[in-house]
Amino acid sequence: MNLTATQTDAVQELLNIGVGRAASMLADMIQSPIRLQVPFVKLFTAKEIKAGLEGFDQKIKAIVELGFRGPFSGTAALLFPTESASKLVAALTGEELEDDDLDALTVGTLTEVGNIVMNGVMGSISNFIEGHIEYTVPTYIEDTVESILAARNSADEANILLAQARFLIEDMQLEGDIMLVFEGDSLNAFLNAIELDVTNEG
Amino acid sequence: MAQILIVDDAMLSRLNIKKMLKKAGHDITEAENGREALEKVVVNKPDCILLDLVMPEVDGFEVLKSLRAQRSEVPVIVVSADIQESAQKHCMELGAKIFLNKPVKEQQLQESIAAVLNEPIKACDEFDSNTN
Repeated sequence: MNLTATQTDAVQELLNIGVGRAASMLADMIQSPIRLQVPFVKLFTAKEIKAGLEGFDQKIKAIVELGFRGPFSGTAALLFPTESASKLVAALTGEELEDDDLDALTVGTLTEVGNIVMNGVMGSISNFIEGHIEYTVPTYIEDTVESILAARNSADEANILLAQARFLIEDMQLEGDIMLVFEGDSLNAFLNAIELDVTNEG
Repeated sequence: MAQILIVDDAMLSRLNIKKMLKKAGHDITEAENGREALEKVVVNKPDCILLDLVMPEVDGFEVLKSLRAQRSEVPVIVVSADIQESAQKHCMELGAKIFLNKPVKEQQLQESIAAVLNEPIKACDEFDSNTN
């Protein structure tokens, strides 16, 4: 299975809108401008992901995951290098924290930031297609991107859409990623919903 | 000065809102989920509830349904990260007075509380004002 040019363009554009909204929310919270990079959208098989992803570093990340269910289901994740996560928490709470000082307040703070940012992304997409999705309570983990994708235990041939957007908080020299994962029937539902909407718009 | 119940599982949001409300001299009670909130509504008799939606145990939608079933007249301001128009519509149908999106701004929060405490208000919709 491959994405058509229209599908790729539509996913990128939706991600741009959603991440733009989310970045604006985050900028409000930290009182600092945020720069966005063009999103990356690619289809993988679960087998490819298990074998290792090119272009993804193997470092442990601070990851907030938010599950969503509705016309399409999947997982949204906000990822920071752990040292960046500490800087972000310090900016939000006014506390100076050591890189490894991820205590309850820190985890709680990152989880809520992830919740707000990912609601911005997914809510924008949902509003665009005039649908409704329900969210799970967000969870915080520290792991590599490959591990969290491999942990989904998808069948080898399952297609997984990975949409990733990078943002930079220049004042804090901090960068992070927003990642959306759809697979199986949900992937088709997502692609059909947005393609239909794009076609209707056009 | 009013008695305000903040219902949110996220400590960061409770802290931020608490800071804003204390400046205005309000008395604050906190609940970390909907179940705790419903208990505190009975015990503390708040003048206003600030309610998150996605929470463990009992979520914000269930709280709105319970309050409506009890014919509660305590005004509820939803403060949620959920920016979906469908979520906002559902909350208003369930009896919420105002729907605010996180991160909430101080002036917006103070104005919303003043509005629900003083007179009935239809809706204050940050999402619409930001996007229309």
